[in-house]
Amino acid sequence: MRKVCFHFQITQPYRLRTYRFFDIDKNHNYFDDFQNSYLANRLAERCYLPVTQMFIDLLEKYDNFFLSFSITGDSIRLFQDYCPAVIENLKKMVATGKVEIVGNTFSHSIASLYGKKSFLEQIKEQEKLLKEVFDVKPTSFCNTELIYSDEIGEWLYEAGYNVVLTEGAKHILGWKSPSYLYCNPFQTELKLLLRNYSLCDDITLRFEDKGWDKYPLTVDKYLSFLKAIPEDAAYINLFMDIETIGEYHPKESGVFDFFYHLVVEIAERENLSFILPSEVASVKEDLSTMHSPWPISGSSDEKDVNEWLGNELQQEAFQQLFILEDLYTESQNNNAKTNWLRLQAADHFAFMSTKWFPELSVKRNFDVYPSPYQAFINYMNVLNDVKLQLELNDKHLTKVSKQVKNK
Amino acid sequence: MKVLMFGWEFPPHIAGGLGTACYGLTQGLAKNQVDVTFVMPKASGEEDQRKIKIVNASDVEWNTYYAQQVQESKELSFIEVNSQLIPYVGLDDYFNVINQIESGLFEKQIPGEKRKYLFSGTYGQNLMEEVAHYAIVAAQIATNEQFDLIHAHDWLTFRAGIAAKKISGKPLVIHVHATEYDRSGERNRNEMVYQMEKEGMEAADAICAVSDLTRNIIIEKYGISPEKVFTLHNAVQQNKKEIVREKNLKGKIVTFLGRVTFQKGPEYFVETAKKVMEYDPEVRFVLAGDGDMMTRIILRVAELGIADRFHFTGFLSGADIDTLFGMSDVYVMPSISEPFGISPLEAMRAHVPVVISKQSGVSEILKYAIKVDFWDIDATADAIYGILHYPALAKIFAEKGKEEVNNLKWEYVAKKLKQIYEKVLENQQFPKS
Repeated sequence: MRKVCFHFQITQPYRLRTYRFFDIDKNHNYFDDFQNSYLANRLAERCYLPVTQMFIDLLEKYDNFFLSFSITGDSIRLFQDYCPAVIENLKKMVATGKVEIVGNTFSHSIASLYGKKSFLEQIKEQEKLLKEVFDVKPTSFCNTELIYSDEIGEWLYEAGYNVVLTEGAKHILGWKSPSYLYCNPFQTELKLLLRNYSLCDDITLRFEDKGWDKYPLTVDKYLSFLKAIPEDAAYINLFMDIETIGEYHPKESGVFDFFYHLVVEIAERENLSFILPSEVASVKEDLSTMHSPWPISGSSDEKDVNEWLGNELQQEAFQQLFILEDLYTESQNNNAKTNWLRLQAADHFAFMSTKWFPELSVKRNFDVYPSPYQAFINYMNVLNDVKLQLELNDKHLTKVSKQVKNK
Repeated sequence: MKVLMFGWEFPPHIAGGLGTACYGLTQGLAKNQVDVTFVMPKASGEEDQRKIKIVNASDVEWNTYYAQQVQESKELSFIEVNSQLIPYVGLDDYFNVINQIESGLFEKQIPGEKRKYLFSGTYGQNLMEEVAHYAIVAAQIATNEQFDLIHAHDWLTFRAGIAAKKISGKPLVIHVHATEYDRSGERNRNEMVYQMEKEGMEAADAICAVSDLTRNIIIEKYGISPEKVFTLHNAVQQNKKEIVREKNLKGKIVTFLGRVTFQKGPEYFVETAKKVMEYDPEVRFVLAGDGDMMTRIILRVAELGIADRFHFTGFLSGADIDTLFGMSDVYVMPSISEPFGISPLEAMRAHVPVVISKQSGVSEILKYAIKVDFWDIDATADAIYGILHYPALAKIFAEKGKEEVNNLKWEYVAKKLKQIYEKVLENQQFPKS
């Protein structure tokens, strides 16, 4: 019996406004309210609302349909601010009891590439928010852009997680198949579910690709791909951005019908079933280990972290950001603290990427910067102000609030 | 393949970017096995003739027969200009130039029907007359020389190109380095220059434009069929010796280099300077160049109260430019309209990060440069501040920018040009219609 594990990621960041150097130490509003509102609503209309509605219908109709999703804290706050209906739909899904919320970072953060302290802080903030909004405590984890290494796995186990969703990266797996269950070599209690990126890319990247020899992709065709996987390889892990349905591929492409009928077919077939990530925690048999000494991710073909830390600009920004780690801990300025977390979003770093230069990649869908350099300058300007804000001590804070009141 | 090329200037005696481009292009053509005979109104004899042949039009004896030929043909009827026109300088400079022109031009009467014409080869007050005479001499040269096609650079030589085509029947390629729209803007355009440009474009079998920006102007403003207009971006000569990075001043230096005219946007440079200086008193701005807006710029700098950290060097050339680039931390080109703009490439060659306006042809080919709208003072100031304060950015530009410029070679440009030549020759042999 093959088990299909569906996982959808929702990771919308707070996008930065154009923040000039002369705003530093003067203005502390860094976010582009108009754009954030526009994008949240556009995405909600095209994707989040119809997709969640479709899942709600399917969950009601098929008792054996299960799915999991993860949503960053930033996305939750964005929807609360601009489009609360999305949160309501997600709550409805969770209420069916057949939907698992998988843990992730608060702000789509790449802190795991820096160190344990900031990473665990992100997890803590996210758990707090998930408890508050959905009243859940996740036990499975899907890190930002599927970033994972042996060490990150150990930190996660320590933080109370026993299943991690990550990439079935070829350069790590070699001849091994992503369709088995693996475990961390140093912490064998930590189970690893590996994404079958080929099957995911068939939908995410190639669904509308007329040059693809399998085009058009039908449910029957897709099921035949699933069948081609050897019988004893039990896990078919389909992890993707939820924006695949409705945004990357618009409604007119037939992507909604495709997903609807894919779920129907799987639910009705005897040799296929749905599982949730947390179910594999109780698997008792001996598992082979997946050894990943360096971080892997779900990024493009290389499955490395060069998309965020590939050039000097990104590395500089990354260092300057995390050098403030202690300042964050000591600071009492809660606003600045949240903003510091938000600046850790992978998206900001992706905008500085020169990897596909000058062509734009899929990931830079919502890129507003004319070039990676301007993305870097803007980010550094904001970071410098956040730093000054974190440095404000108690006295200053009271001073500031008094000034505001006087005005 | 042999090309008869008409230019107006050629190093070492040059007034602007045109001569530099002609030099690079002819050297590149030589590398691609194309023989070039380069005609110019007044050669000094100091030109580099190792790879190409230079013809000094002032030395050419011409038969009055050609003057008649050229004058009689309808397309080439002379416009008699009692001209006070100086297209390359602004009004304020005009009177200066009049005083400066020493020799002007005169005709030498030679017994019989043969004549010589002495050109000044500058952009002085007799420009229109010289342009006209250049065409007559061109006709003579076209009968003297052996060649497969004709190549003419900018409107000054278009008539010469047309005349040579008329006499020889060989195809004509014209090269547009700048249009009247870039020089004067839409409203102030010089009608006569515009007409001559249009005439050249219409008569040409192919047109090379130095950027997509210029190509679009040619198609849209001059109504030329897009099929015969090709974009041929410029390159930059590799510098022989590495520029020494050396400073005699404390603090960071931001540089502008170019003619101080409306087209180059010096005003925006001053306003940007003010904005940056307010937040960073350590930084200095240097404006190198001269032009008709100089007085206005100086007054504005005084008015803003930044004269202590805003420096004027006047016109610079050769080694002085290298020294300045060696001191600079950022190079800014805020041009309002720049068909190409070779100076950012020279800055990058010297490891200087550049901020350039999107309204420049060179922005079409550069990756390692920050591109802003010329009018967007905030964005320009932010880019300068970013380069000065976030070292990773300056580093990436200095290293990768240099690499990028090293790959822009005239040899490759000439290779593309040769393909255009081949296409033109093929079309002439087997006409489409």
